[in-house]
Amino acid sequence: MQTVTFRIWRFKAAQIDPPQFQDFKLSVEANMSVLEGLEKIRQEQDQTLMYRHSCHHASCGTCACKINGRERLACITPIKDLPARPITLTPLDGFASLGDLVVDMHRFYKNLSADWSYLRESDHPGPSRAPREVKPFMRFENCVECGACVSACPVTPESEKFMGPAALAALHDELEKSPAKAADLLSLAGGSRGVRWCKSALRCSQVCPTAVYPARHIAELRRRGERSTK
Amino acid sequence: MEHIIIIGGGGTGAALAHDLALRGFKVSLFEKGELLSGTTGRHHGLLHSGARYAVHDPTAAQECIAENSILRRIAPQALEQNDGLFVALEETDMAYRRVFVESCRACGISVRQLSAAEALGLEPALNPNLKLALQLPDATMDAWRLPLQFFATAKANGAELHSFAEVRGIHVRSGRVTGVRIFDYKKHREYDVRGDLLVNATGAWAGKICALAGIQVPVQPGPGVMVTVNARLTNMVINRLHPAGEGDIIVPQRKLSALGTSLWLANDPDGIALPRDHIRRIIGLCAQMVPAVKDTPLHSAWCAARPLLGGRKADDPQKISRTFDCYDHKERDNLEGLVSVMGGKATTLRAMAAKTADLICRKTGRDLPCRTAAQKLLHWRLFYQ
Repeated sequence: MQTVTFRIWRFKAAQIDPPQFQDFKLSVEANMSVLEGLEKIRQEQDQTLMYRHSCHHASCGTCACKINGRERLACITPIKDLPARPITLTPLDGFASLGDLVVDMHRFYKNLSADWSYLRESDHPGPSRAPREVKPFMRFENCVECGACVSACPVTPESEKFMGPAALAALHDELEKSPAKAADLLSLAGGSRGVRWCKSALRCSQVCPTAVYPARHIAELRRRGERSTK
Repeated sequence: MEHIIIIGGGGTGAALAHDLALRGFKVSLFEKGELLSGTTGRHHGLLHSGARYAVHDPTAAQECIAENSILRRIAPQALEQNDGLFVALEETDMAYRRVFVESCRACGISVRQLSAAEALGLEPALNPNLKLALQLPDATMDAWRLPLQFFATAKANGAELHSFAEVRGIHVRSGRVTGVRIFDYKKHREYDVRGDLLVNATGAWAGKICALAGIQVPVQPGPGVMVTVNARLTNMVINRLHPAGEGDIIVPQRKLSALGTSLWLANDPDGIALPRDHIRRIIGLCAQMVPAVKDTPLHSAWCAARPLLGGRKADDPQKISRTFDCYDHKERDNLEGLVSVMGGKATTLRAMAAKTADLICRKTGRDLPCRTAAQKLLHWRLFYQ
């Protein structure tokens, strides 16, 4: 057991407004995640602390926040792996806070079409030796829609006009899966809200917790766009 | 139409909000934290075929297979539909096969037997010494996105969903529930809400809510540990062909494999510490089915409290039925206006809601059929649009 301090950004409209940091001291076990630390604070010290969480294994994407200045999923961030103390928690950038670390995800989902499939053919654990009379194995897309890339992007906090890295990565995935939709998808990617805003800072790929590498998708969309206009 | 207040924003509350909104009721739902932040989002993501329960709990098994086929139709985007294998590794597993297959068939669950070579052809990571495998209609669900589709549809149909809004009190006048006292964590204030009927859909927290009204319910938190390792080792769900026990399931999901699970009984669903020794035990047991499990880096481990129905400390918790029920507290406790729904599984959320909404219709004198089995759900992304 060791004692650590969580320095948490607190905000409640008309209550803790303007926002301020609050320190919580707690004793933690080895291997405890930042999310477990938040749960412990809420259980033992302050039940008014607000944060999002659900699956606790980087599948839902709800617990994304900035931990010591970098976008991460609290559920898969072990406290012992964080060199800096105190552990500073702030909400994602570019989203409105609904209270403490909870952000309003409407802005994120507005750019993700419900028509784009969340399923892809499974690439693990490699091609099966079985006869393929059965339909292919399927799996969910890598992106857990957490918003980390949108927060880290130097463009999205400045301009709501940019679709953002997650939406462009999903758009590119859809393009690969549904070539028949190419004209519409490339027109959206090349349009006024698309790839033109990207400054190739690559922050999206650096912070993505599930290795979507949105910057690669954006680069590929640019190549496809150039080819189609030639 | 009557105003129905639902307490609990997990899978059951989501499906009930959807069902009641579709029948035309005015619906308000209150969840003390983020939606789906209790037990619901935290399971390993198995869409049960029901096979796991077929031998000792056929009621739950039949509920599962019926709901399995419905959820495939109404929420396909939240499912990896790759079937499951029950693998036999030892003679005792082989001896269990006959009663298992007969029980599955009796429950209407299709079973196809594969030789060891056929199973290894489908899933090369299986223990090469397996004796045979049985293929069943298990699947992987996204434990957050599937119930969020129910919320998205409920919201589009007019249900009001309040997260970070905790029920702190239940108002009772002359033996009748008239409303609830809410604490709003976003605005840091309390307020009252009046309703015609109150539904307690808080799963493992049901006892705490009923205590606010001075009554008890037969539900016990049954926590379990789940583990993910950082590789997708199979495409199909892998189960051990033996009676329900610990460490006997691997649920692939995206690029991960989720391993489950352990089970014990607790008195309080809050503040359950993760027993770290369970992690090694579960990995060791699951590695018997898929040896690569033990060489794959640990990704995360967590626990969640199941809402076990009628559990008592003395029971073998594995034997507690995983079926569900709903109670009219007028009949049980002479308290009008309160209904509790409890037990069940993530797979059976829609059926739990249907049974509860049927009870609400009887209590309100409405003849409104359930329509959720045929209604394709809206995409979860539309919840935020």
